[in-house]
Amino acid sequence: MNTLIRNRFGTDEIEVKRNDLSKVTVTKYRLFELIHLLVEQYGYTTLNAITCTDWIEEGHFAMTYILTIKDRKHTFMVQTMIGREEAQIDSLTTLFKQAEIMERDLHEMYGIDFPGNGNLVELSLENWVHTPPLRREFDTLAFVNELHDFREGRDDNMDVKAEMKRLRALKKAAKEAAAKKEASPAEEKEAQQESDDGK
Amino acid sequence: MEEGFLREQRQMESDLNSDTSHKSSVDFLMNWFRKRSIFVLAYGTGCGAIEMPPTFTSRYDAERLGIRGAATPRQADVIIVSGYCSYKTLRRIIRTYEQMANPKYVLALGSCTINGGMYWDSYNTIKKLEDYIPVDMYVSGCMPRPESILEGFLALQKEIAEGKASSWQRYEENYAFYRKNQEKVLGKNVAPAYDADWYLYDGGLS
Repeated sequence: MNTLIRNRFGTDEIEVKRNDLSKVTVTKYRLFELIHLLVEQYGYTTLNAITCTDWIEEGHFAMTYILTIKDRKHTFMVQTMIGREEAQIDSLTTLFKQAEIMERDLHEMYGIDFPGNGNLVELSLENWVHTPPLRREFDTLAFVNELHDFREGRDDNMDVKAEMKRLRALKKAAKEAAAKKEASPAEEKEAQQESDDGK
Repeated sequence: MEEGFLREQRQMESDLNSDTSHKSSVDFLMNWFRKRSIFVLAYGTGCGAIEMPPTFTSRYDAERLGIRGAATPRQADVIIVSGYCSYKTLRRIIRTYEQMANPKYVLALGSCTINGGMYWDSYNTIKKLEDYIPVDMYVSGCMPRPESILEGFLALQKEIAEGKASSWQRYEENYAFYRKNQEKVLGKNVAPAYDADWYLYDGGLS
């Protein structure tokens, strides 16, 4: 099966991550052909997840389709790269109905368009007008600072790191003192024993 | 020091001998009735809602303090904002709060309502609840245990007895301030404006 996929799709080596997990990277245009093949011919009938990773330095999104075989003994990760600007990839809803909500999520969080998915409305955000929040160019802290002002700390609050350092030093000192105390009676005992032997 | 039931009992009885000569007896009675029948809206936001069932059921039994659940906002006296509050939830909280009848109180649980807690830099949660609706009592913790929640309720009861808990009046007086903050995070379309104009003058009762 691996040889067939390799020859037919001209991909690199299929990465066998574990006994039950393989990963293959294909181009955007042959992705659905490969998924069809896996589903129809090899029985990878479950779509676990569609995930997206934002590689902002390389300028692309890595879309990964995770498929599991019928008897649950093997999982295939099919990865493809799509451009970050005006990101677009065909919808998988024709093959898997459950892809609809996964694509809806990705559309909301990364702004990826899925032609063929008729239900790309907002999922968990409401009236969101800014950059999609999980794209890495979205500066969360700047956004928060713009909308909210933070509560000032209490008057008696302390620097956490300095306080932890101080407490740790105290603990260490106490431990050393205890060790000394423990050691000293032993020494005394030894000394006594020696003197007893002397007698 | 006494603990558990005895301590709570002592706290409950602590105001029986307090000086009430400065209040009229009607005020005193009204506040007494109010503090002894607190109906809490059965509404949970965020993770803190998980601490409310043990508070209200037999393990901690809040009903012995006069605190019990209410099914709808119209019947409720207290709304508990339990934990982190996203923008989407905030819209519902505001709408629910405005439906409640006066006098009404707000109890905020958890560090998330105080300063954002662990969601302090999240793109989708508010940081200070008191900017959007008035808060009577904050209970800190992540999450506060039922004992802390009961303690918060007892403190609230004390304020009610003294006539100090008046957040709904603050909301009415400073409505412009609250509305401005609400619109800042939710956009223009928050909820119907908080007044009776639409009811009295806009073809309702004329």
